Amino acid sequence: MINIQDMRDTARDLLAKNEVRAVIGYRRGSSGMNAEPVVITDAAQADELVWDPTCFHNLALYLVEDRKFLAHTRAKPGLPIAIVAKGCDARAIVVLMQEHYFKREEVYIIGMSCEGTGVLDERKLASQGIQASNAAFDGDDYVFTTAQGEKRIAAREVMADRCLECRIPYPREHNVVLGEDKTGRVLAEPFAALKRFEERDAAERWIYWERQFDRCIRCFACRSVCPMCFCDECVVDSISFPVTAQTTAEEKANRVRWIERSAVRSENITYHMTRAMHLAGRCVDCNECERVCPVNIPLRLLNNKMEREAREQFGYEPGASIGAPALVASFLDNDPEKFIR
Amino acid sequence: MTKKRTGVFVCHCGNNIAATVDVKKVAEVMGTEEGVAYSQDYVYMCSDPGQNAVIQSIKDNNLDSVVISCCSPNLHEKTFRDNAKRAGLNSFTCEIANIREQCAWVHKDKERATEKAIKISRSAVRRAGRDQALEPIAVPVTRKVLVIGGGIAGIQAALDIANAGLQVILVEKQATIGGHMLQLSETFPTLDCSQCILSPKMVDVSRHPNITLLTYSEVKEVSGSVGNFRVNILKKPTYVDPELCKICDDCANVCPVVVPNEFDLGLTARRAIHIPFAQAIPASYTLDESACLGLNPIRCGKCKDVCEVGAINYDMRPQTLIEDVGAIVVATGYDLYGQEHMNELGGGQIDDVLDGLQFERLCSASGATKGHVLRPSDRTVPKDVVFIQCVGSRDPANHCAYCSKICCMYTAKHASLYKHHVPDGRAYVFYIDIRSGGKGYEEFVQRIMEDDEAIYLRGRVSKLYRKGGKVRVLGTDTLTGQNVEIDADMVVLALAMEPSKGTEEIAKTLKIGRDKDGFLAEAHPKLKPVESVTAGIFLAGCAQGPKDIPETVAQAGAAASKVIGLLSQPTLSHAPTVARVRNSHCTGCEMCVSACPYNAISLENGKALVNEVLCEGCGSCSATCLRAAIEVKNATPLQIHEMIEACLA
Repeated sequence: MINIQDMRDTARDLLAKNEVRAVIGYRRGSSGMNAEPVVITDAAQADELVWDPTCFHNLALYLVEDRKFLAHTRAKPGLPIAIVAKGCDARAIVVLMQEHYFKREEVYIIGMSCEGTGVLDERKLASQGIQASNAAFDGDDYVFTTAQGEKRIAAREVMADRCLECRIPYPREHNVVLGEDKTGRVLAEPFAALKRFEERDAAERWIYWERQFDRCIRCFACRSVCPMCFCDECVVDSISFPVTAQTTAEEKANRVRWIERSAVRSENITYHMTRAMHLAGRCVDCNECERVCPVNIPLRLLNNKMEREAREQFGYEPGASIGAPALVASFLDNDPEKFIR
Repeated sequence: MTKKRTGVFVCHCGNNIAATVDVKKVAEVMGTEEGVAYSQDYVYMCSDPGQNAVIQSIKDNNLDSVVISCCSPNLHEKTFRDNAKRAGLNSFTCEIANIREQCAWVHKDKERATEKAIKISRSAVRRAGRDQALEPIAVPVTRKVLVIGGGIAGIQAALDIANAGLQVILVEKQATIGGHMLQLSETFPTLDCSQCILSPKMVDVSRHPNITLLTYSEVKEVSGSVGNFRVNILKKPTYVDPELCKICDDCANVCPVVVPNEFDLGLTARRAIHIPFAQAIPASYTLDESACLGLNPIRCGKCKDVCEVGAINYDMRPQTLIEDVGAIVVATGYDLYGQEHMNELGGGQIDDVLDGLQFERLCSASGATKGHVLRPSDRTVPKDVVFIQCVGSRDPANHCAYCSKICCMYTAKHASLYKHHVPDGRAYVFYIDIRSGGKGYEEFVQRIMEDDEAIYLRGRVSKLYRKGGKVRVLGTDTLTGQNVEIDADMVVLALAMEPSKGTEEIAKTLKIGRDKDGFLAEAHPKLKPVESVTAGIFLAGCAQGPKDIPETVAQAGAAASKVIGLLSQPTLSHAPTVARVRNSHCTGCEMCVSACPYNAISLENGKALVNEVLCEGCGSCSATCLRAAIEVKNATPLQIHEMIEACLA
C-alpha cells in the first residue's frame, strides 16, 4: 500500500533540489469528499498533496494546459514539470509524447500504482446511500468518513467500471513509481458494458444513441477535460477559431463548417462521432469525459468501441510506447481488410 | 463561394453517356448554377470540334474555369487541361466530372442517373470555383536506369537503354546473368540453340561501357519518384575476386562439399565453390556460403590453398550500394509452379517424373547427360515418354486459373527433341486443346504431330504412380471416349508459370501493384502494357505475365523505349497538386510523416515540411491530420466540404 508521505517527500525533494519547476498533483477539495487538482511550486506546499480514491482526474490535461501557456507566453520551459500519474494518466502522457506534444525530458512522472483498487465511482457510492466527507485506501477496501462514523466498503463494490476492467493499473512510463505493480489483475471482463450493449440490434442501438445525443447541450465539458483534445482549432469551432498572425484573410473568410454549433440531433451526433474517431488509438479510457458530462451521456461506450476495434483489428494498445507510430498513421501490409466489401 | 465564371461542358460520348443520362438536361441545369457563366452539351467533347467549342466559349464568355462532364479523368483530364491552357486559362482550373464510369455505365434508371450526373457535375463546379492557378513543378532527372533481373528481358532492356546512351545498372540475384533462357536447350519454333543466341547478348552486357553489372545482388529499398529514385542494393559476397579468377576449376576439384546443382535443377551435383556454367557472366567462381563448411581456413580452406592467383577471400563482406536512378525496369521473371502442388501427379516424389525445365537440361548439350536423353533413375534410354500439358494451369478450382501460354509450344518442342534423340521411342502428349497462335507456331505443332509422329491424346491425366520400373499413367482420351493406361519410362509435366519467388517482395519495395495471380500489374491492360502503376517504373518479361521469348524481347524493347523517352527530357513536370502545410495549425505530431506512403514529409523546426517533388498528392496526410493542418492543393478540406455539400443538396 502506498504511503502518502512518500509521495509528499518525493514532491518536496524535487522542488527543494530545484529539479522541477512545479508538481501537478491532488489536494483536498474545498468542499465535500473529492480531491482536486493542484499545482505546487514550493516545497513547503508538498504536505497539501493527497492520494485517495477520489483522485479521478486525469492530470495529463494540466501538462497540456502548461504547454499551451508556455506557447502563448513564449516562455522557455526550463526545468521539467512533475506530475502525479496513475496508470491511465501515464498512458495519456505517453500518447501526448507519441504525438510530440512535449518531450520526455520535459516531464517528470511520479507514477502511482493503483494496486488493484482504482478510483471511486461517485454514482455507485450514492446508490449505496452513503454520504461521506472523506475517502481513503485501505488494502482492498475504501474507508469513508461519514456523519455516522467510519464506513468500510470493499473497493470493487463502488469502484469505477473502467478501473474494474483495467488491464494495466500501473504507470509503466515513470521517473519514480510508488506502490506495487498489479498488472494482470482484472476485476471484471474488459469491455463488458460494450458487449452487453452490442447484444441489442442495430435499430434499437440507434434509437438509444439518438436519445442520448438529443440531450447533449454542447457544453463541451467532455472536450475541455480531455487531454487528447489539445487542438487549438477544434473541428466544431470553425466560427471562433483562433486567429493567429499567420491566419490569412482568405482563411478567415473561407473557414470550413463541418459541424454547426447548434445543439440539435444531427450536429450533436456528428460532434460526438467525430470526437470518437479523433480519439481512436489515443483514448486511454480515463473516462473523464463521461464523469464530467452534466447530462450523463455514456461516452465510455463510444470510446470503448474504438479502443476494442483498434485492439482486435490491429493489436493496438494506446499509450504503450513513446516510439510507436500512432494507430491512424501506421499502415502494415497485413492489416485486416475485412471492412472492404 | 467566390464569384467565378465557370463553363460546364457536358459530353454525350456518343450513346455511352446519353443512353442513361439526359445530357441536355444536365447542361441546362448546370447553366442555372451559381458561378456558372456558360454551359453546353456536345456529342463528343474530346473530338476536335468539341475541344474547339470549349476554347471558343472560354474566349466568348470570358470564362475563368472549366468543368467537363465526361469520362474518367484517367482518360481525358490531360486533353481538356491542355485545351484549357490553349484558351489562355491555367490548366489546373479545369476539372473533370466523371459521369460515364461513375454514373452512366453503372446505372439503368435514366431519371435517377441524370440526377446523379447533375450532382457530380455540380460538385465539380464547386471544386473548380475554388481551384487555384498552379504551375507544374519542374523536376530534374537522373539519366541513369536500374534494371532488375538479368534474364533475357532484363538483358534486352539493359542493352537497348545503354545503346541509347543512358547509364544502366543491371541487378541480378543469381551469380550469373542469363536467367531461365540459358537453361533451355533449343527454342521453338526454329529449334535454334538457346545458349548460342543468348550468350552473345550476355557478352555484350558485360562489355558495354554504359552498363554496370551487379550479380549476386538484390534491391533492398527504393525511395523517391519518377526521375529521381534512390535505390539501396545489397551485393552479397561471392568470396571470389572475379578480376583474378582464371576459371581453372582447381578450387571445385578440391572442394569436399557436394550439393544439388540448381542450374541443372538438381539433376546434377556441384561443389560449394562453383561456376553455374561455362559461359557465366561474370566469368568467375562463386562460393556458396550456405553450403561451405564455414569460410574458415581452420575447418577447411582447401579452395583457398589451391587457388594459385589468390582470388579467394573469405573475408569478403556484403556491400550496400546506394544509386540514384531516373527510371526502373522490373524484369524479375518466373518460376515453375512447384511439382509438390500436384499430388495426383506424384507431388514431385516419383523419379523420372520431370518438369519442363529439367527435361530441357536433359536435352541440352551442356546439361546433365551431355545431351543424351536418359532416365534420371537408372540412366537408360526411355522408350515411352508421356508429356502432360496444362499441369497447374487453367485449373481455377485447385491451381492457377490462367493459361501459361507457352506450354503447348514447348511440349511440342520436347516431343520433337525426344523423337530426334530416340527415333524408335514413343512420345505421348496429353492436352486439353492446342494453343499455337504465333508466327510459324501452328505449322510447328502440326509438323511434330505428322512428321515426328508424336501421339497427341486429348484429355487429362488423373493419376500417376510408380509401377515396377515404370510410371503408370492413367488418363482419358476424350476423342475416343476411352480410358488410357500407359506404362511410361519417363513423364514430363508442362507446369504452369508463376511469378518468380520474391516478386511479392520486390512489388512492395517498389510500391507497384500485382494482379490476382501475383504477376506485376501493368497500368492499363491495353494502352499501358509495359508501365507499372507507379510512374517511372516499367515492366518486362514474365514478371508481368506468362510469355515466350519473342514476346519478352519485344516487351523489353518497349520498356526500354519508354525509359529512353522519359529520360530524354532535361526535366520532368510534376503535378503541382501537392500537400501544403498550415504552420499555424501544425502541432508537429508527426502523424502525417508516418502516414505518407512516399516519405515526402519531414519535420522541420517542429512543423511538417512537404517535399513537393516526392509528394504525389494522395491526401493520406490530410486524412490523418486531426488538426486540418495539412491539405492538398486544389483538393482542400474546403473544396471537399463544398463538393459533399453539393452532392447532398
